[in-house]
Amino acid sequence: MAGQSDPHISLFSAQEVEFLGEDEMVEIVPNMRMDPLNLICGDFGPFRPQIATQVPLWLAVALKKRGKCTIRPPEWMSVEKLTQVLEAERNSLREFQPLPFHYVEIARLLSDHARDDIPDVYMVRSLIEDIRDVRFHKVETGLETIHERTHAVKLKNLSAMEANIVRPFVVRALQAFYKHDSPEMIPQPDTTAIRRRQAADRGPKRDRRY
Amino acid sequence: MKGRSLKLREAHKSSGAASFCSILWDLCAQHLLTSSSNDLSICIHDPLLPSNSPQILRHHRDGVTALALSPNSTCLASGSIDHSVKLYKFPGGEFQTNVTRFTLPIRVISFNRSGSILAAAGDDEGIKLINTIDGSIARVLKGHKGSVTGLAFDPNGEYLASVDSIGTVIHWELHSGTALHILKGIAPDTGSDLSVLNVLSWSPDGETLAVPGLKNDVVMYDRDTAEKLFSLRGDHVQPICFLSWSPNGKYMATAGLDRQILIWDVDQRQDIDRQKFDDRICCMAWKPNGNALAVIDVMGKYGVWESAVPSSMKSPTEDVPSLQSKNSNGLLLFDEDEQEPSASGSLSDLGEDSHGESEPPSRKRLRKQSTYDEDIDDDLLSSLPKVESRKKASHSHKESLNNGNEGLKSTTSARLKMQEAFQPGATPVQPGKRRFLCYNMLGSITTIEHDGYSHIEIDFHDTGSGPRVPAMTDYFGFTMASLNEHGSVFANPCKGQKNMSTLMYRPFSTWANNSEWSMRFEQEEVKVVALGSAWVAAVTSLNFLRIFTDGGLQRYVISLDGPVVTASGFKDELAVVTHASHCLPSNDQMLEFRVFNISNGTQPLKGHLPLTPGSCLTWFGFSEEGQLSSYDSKGVLRVFTNQFGGSWLPLFSASKEKSEENYWVAGLNMNKLFCIVCKSPDLFPPVMPKPVLTLLDLSFPLATSDLGAETLENEFILKNTHLLQIQQRIEEMAAAGLDTTSLDDEAFNVETALDRCILRLIASCCNGDKIVRATELVKLLSLEKSVKGAIKLVTALKLPNLAERFNSILEERLLNETSRPATLPLTSSNHDFLTSIQSSKPSQPVIPLPSPQPSSPLFAKKGKLQEGAKVGNEKVEQRRTAIVENIGKVKSLAEVKSIEDMTNQGEASIGEIKNGAVNQRPSNPFAKSSSNQEKSSLFDAIKKMKKVDETGKR
Repeated sequence: MAGQSDPHISLFSAQEVEFLGEDEMVEIVPNMRMDPLNLICGDFGPFRPQIATQVPLWLAVALKKRGKCTIRPPEWMSVEKLTQVLEAERNSLREFQPLPFHYVEIARLLSDHARDDIPDVYMVRSLIEDIRDVRFHKVETGLETIHERTHAVKLKNLSAMEANIVRPFVVRALQAFYKHDSPEMIPQPDTTAIRRRQAADRGPKRDRRY
Repeated sequence: MKGRSLKLREAHKSSGAASFCSILWDLCAQHLLTSSSNDLSICIHDPLLPSNSPQILRHHRDGVTALALSPNSTCLASGSIDHSVKLYKFPGGEFQTNVTRFTLPIRVISFNRSGSILAAAGDDEGIKLINTIDGSIARVLKGHKGSVTGLAFDPNGEYLASVDSIGTVIHWELHSGTALHILKGIAPDTGSDLSVLNVLSWSPDGETLAVPGLKNDVVMYDRDTAEKLFSLRGDHVQPICFLSWSPNGKYMATAGLDRQILIWDVDQRQDIDRQKFDDRICCMAWKPNGNALAVIDVMGKYGVWESAVPSSMKSPTEDVPSLQSKNSNGLLLFDEDEQEPSASGSLSDLGEDSHGESEPPSRKRLRKQSTYDEDIDDDLLSSLPKVESRKKASHSHKESLNNGNEGLKSTTSARLKMQEAFQPGATPVQPGKRRFLCYNMLGSITTIEHDGYSHIEIDFHDTGSGPRVPAMTDYFGFTMASLNEHGSVFANPCKGQKNMSTLMYRPFSTWANNSEWSMRFEQEEVKVVALGSAWVAAVTSLNFLRIFTDGGLQRYVISLDGPVVTASGFKDELAVVTHASHCLPSNDQMLEFRVFNISNGTQPLKGHLPLTPGSCLTWFGFSEEGQLSSYDSKGVLRVFTNQFGGSWLPLFSASKEKSEENYWVAGLNMNKLFCIVCKSPDLFPPVMPKPVLTLLDLSFPLATSDLGAETLENEFILKNTHLLQIQQRIEEMAAAGLDTTSLDDEAFNVETALDRCILRLIASCCNGDKIVRATELVKLLSLEKSVKGAIKLVTALKLPNLAERFNSILEERLLNETSRPATLPLTSSNHDFLTSIQSSKPSQPVIPLPSPQPSSPLFAKKGKLQEGAKVGNEKVEQRRTAIVENIGKVKSLAEVKSIEDMTNQGEASIGEIKNGAVNQRPSNPFAKSSSNQEKSSLFDAIKKMKKVDETGKR
C-alpha cells in the first residue's frame, strides 16, 4: 500500500490515546481534607470530605487508587443515557451521537479503577462496548464510499479512539488516491498536510477533515 | 347433658403410650396446630378440610411438648424434649431461630399479651423470660422445686403465674421478677407421669386465676392477693388435668383424668355440658371466633367439638372483655387483636398496654386493700400506673414524631402543634432502610433495624484522619445520637418498663480501655443529646439539662424553662432550643434558645429564636467558625450575630433557589452553606448512595433594588458581616493576649475584597445615575487606595463633580488619619509609605522589616492604618521621624490633585471595572512609566514612593 513507508504517519497506541484522555475533567468526592493543588495544568481543590470537586481524570484515578475519593461517574455514563445514545446510534445511519471526545478512554479508566462507584457497571460497560461497535461499524461502512474522487472525509462527533483507529487507513488511502491522481505533486505537500493534521489532533476538535 | 360422641382423628402416632399433646388455634381460626411429646413433628391442620394432610414442621430432634403462637399469629414457638425452643414464621412455618436452650426438657412455653416476651420452662429449675425482639434472656425466675408445667401471663401484663408438677403455684411480678405469692400444694401432685401436666389459666379479663384443685375441682384465685375466691366442683371424679377459659371468660372447659370434658358456666359455677372420650384429653382450645372447642387426647387424636356451649346460651365469643388475653398455652383467644397495631405489639414491652384502658373497679378496691398489707408492694403497684401513663404518652409522642417528621416539614399543614424534639441531622425512620441518626460535617451515624435490634455504623467523611469505629449492634433501639471528633453519644426513648431510657457514650480514642459508659433514666426520657469538647449533654422529658463529663461523671443538672426542641454543641458551648410557650394561633412556634458555656459555667446568650411564619425548626447548630445558626422548614437559614445587641441574620433562603429541590442542611461556614440537595418531594437524603454535600452561597433575602445589582449588594452586606465577625474575633483574641497575625491578614483580605465590591457597586451606581448612593459608598471604603481608585473611576466615567466630591472625602480622610499619629505615635509609621525615600531605589532589593507587633491590640482596631502597614511597612522603620513632613506632603498632594499620579497603581480590579476606559490617561505625565508596571504590593509601594518624591519636587 502506498504511504506505508512514510515515516511521518505516526499512530498513537491505545495507551497513548488513553493518556491523552486522562486530562478530561471528572467530578470526585474526596474523603480527605487537603489544600488546593497548584499544578502546571491548573489549580485543583481544595479537597474537603464529602464535597464534590472537579479534577483531571489522572488525578482522580491516582486518588482513587489510594482510597482517598470516590469518583462520580459523568452524566452520560448512566445506563439510561447510554441506552438512549445506543438507540440513536442504531437509528441514524450517517450521524454520530455527540459523546465526549474521550468517552472510550474515560469509560475504560473508570470501569478499571472505580468500578464500585459506577452503578450497574457491567451494564454500562456492555452498553459502551455496543455503542463503540455500532459507531465503528458506521465508520467502516462510511469509509467504503471512499473512491478516487474523494479529497476529504467528514466525520462529525468522531471520538479520539475511533479517529485513531481509522486515521492511518484513511490518511494513506486518501494520500494514495491523491498521489495517483496527480503524479507530478509528490511528497512535498504531503508532509505539510500531515503536520497540520497532527497539530489539530491535540485539541478536542470533533470536526476533522482528512 | 347429651351423650354425644365426638369423632377424633389421628394427628400424631402415639405408639401406644400416653403422651402429652398440645392443640392450638391461630388468630383467625384458619389453622389448627397440634403436637405430641412422642412425635418430632408439629402439624398445621386446616380445620375446614380435616381430611387434607397437614403441613408438618420437623425441626425438633425429640418430642414437642409445648406450642405457642404470638398474639398476632405471625410467630410460632415450640418447646421440645430436645431442650430447645424454636421460633417459626406463621402460617408459613419457616424455621427462624433457636431462641434458647435448656439443660432439661421443656414442658411449657407461653407468649405474653403483646408478644414481646416468651416464657419457657420445664424440668430446669428456672423460668426463662426471653425477649422476642432480640432473643436475649430478659430474666430467669427461680423458685419452683419441681418441673414447671404451666405458665400463664396475666392479660394485663403485670404478672406471670406458674405451676409445677408438685402442685405449687407462684405469682411472679414481671416488673421486678420477684415471687409475689407462693401457694404450696394447691394443685394436684402429678408425680412423674409426664403425660399429665399441671396447668393454670387467667380469666380473659385477668381478674382470676384458675388452677386445678386437689378435690377434683377448679379453684379460682384473686389476681392481686392470690386469695381463694371460689371453686368449680362437680362431676369430675378424678383430678382435672387441663382447663381453658372461653374467649369471653363466661365459660370454662375442663378435662379430667376421668376422660371427660366438662363445660362450666363460671358465673353460675355450674357445669352445663359434658363429653366422654376414649382417652384422656390432655389439651383443649376454644375457637377464637366461634362456638367450638378443639381437643386432643393423650394418644395424639384430635377433634373439634362444635357448639360446645349449648346454642340456647350465650356464645362463648360474645362480650369479649376489652382486656384481651390468651390462655396458658399461648393460645390467642381473641379476634379483635388486629385492632392493635402489630408494630407496637412487637415493640412494646412488658405491661406496655396494661394501664391505658379502664381498670375494673374491683381491682382498685383490692389494690387499696393491699396498701395496708404491704408497703413495698404497694409502692410498686401504685407507682406503676403513673409511670405507665407517662410512658404511654411519650411513646405515642415518639410515634408522632417519627411519622410526623414529614408532616412537620410540610408547612402547609395547618395543625396547631408544638414542634417535637428532634436531633439536628437525623432523618426519620423508614422501615427496612438505613437512616441517619446524626449527620454533620464530620461524619455520620446510621442505623437500621433488623430482627428487633439495630445495627449502628459510624462513618467519618474524612476516612484518613477520622478514627475507625467498628459497627455495633444496638439492643437498646437508639433513636438519638450525636457525633464529634472525640466520641459519640446515643440515647433511646423508653419503651415500657423494661426498656428504660438509656444514654450511652462511646469515646473513640482513650488511653483507658472500656471507657464507654451509660446512664439509665427512671421515669424520665432522654429527648435530645449533644456533644462538646469533654462534655456530654442530654435533655430529658422532665426538662432537665444533664451535663456529663466525657468520663461519665454527672456534672450538672439544670432545669430548663420549657420542653426541649433541640440542642447542639460546639467546643465549650452548648445551645439548647426550648419551647417558650404554646404556639400562636397563626401556627408559629414560640421557641427560645440559650447558649451555655460549659467550662466556664456561664450562659452568654439567651433569647427568642426567630422562625419564618408558619414554619418550624429543622436544623440547629453552629457554623464552622462557631456562629449559632438555625434552618427552618421554609428554607431560611439564620445566623446569630452580635450586631444590634445580638440578632439573627437571614443568610439564605431556599425559596430563591430552584423550587424542585429541597435542602437538607449539614453545616455552614462564613460564606457557604453545606447541604444535601434532595429532589422534591424528598425532604431528606437516603443513606445509600452516600449523599454528597453541595455548597450553596449564602445570600441575604434582598429586595429588588432599582440598581439591579443585587449580587453586588448581597456581597457587600456579606463581606461587611464577615469583616465584623473577624474584627470581633481579633478583639477577643487580643483581649486573651493571643497572636492575631493570621486574623489580621484575613481581615485585610476581606477588607480588600469588600473594597473591590464597593468599587463595583460605585460603578453600577454611577451607571445607574445614583450619585448620592455612590458618595455614601465611597465613605465606606476602608483602604485609602480604593478611594483613589474610586476617584479615578468616576473621572473615567466623566462625572467631574462626583470626582470633586470624592476628592474632598479623601482629603478629609487623610486629614483625620494624619492627625491621629500625633496621638498614637507608634502607629504613625503606617503612613510612611507616602514619604519620599531618597536612598532607596526601585531596583534595589528591599528587606522586609517586621511590622510593629508590640502595639497589636491597638493596631488591630485600626483597620485603616493596618493596610498602610501592609503595603508600606517594608521600609518604614527608618522613617519614623518624618511625621511632620509627611503631613505637609500629604496636604500638598491633595492640593495638587494629581489624582492619576496617586491612583494609577491601584488595585487590579479598578482596571476591570473601567473596562479599559481609563487606560488612556492623556493628562498623566507618568503614564509611560506606570503602563507596564507590576501589581505586586511591594512594587506598588516603591513606585508610589518614587512618584510622591517627584511630586514633592515639583
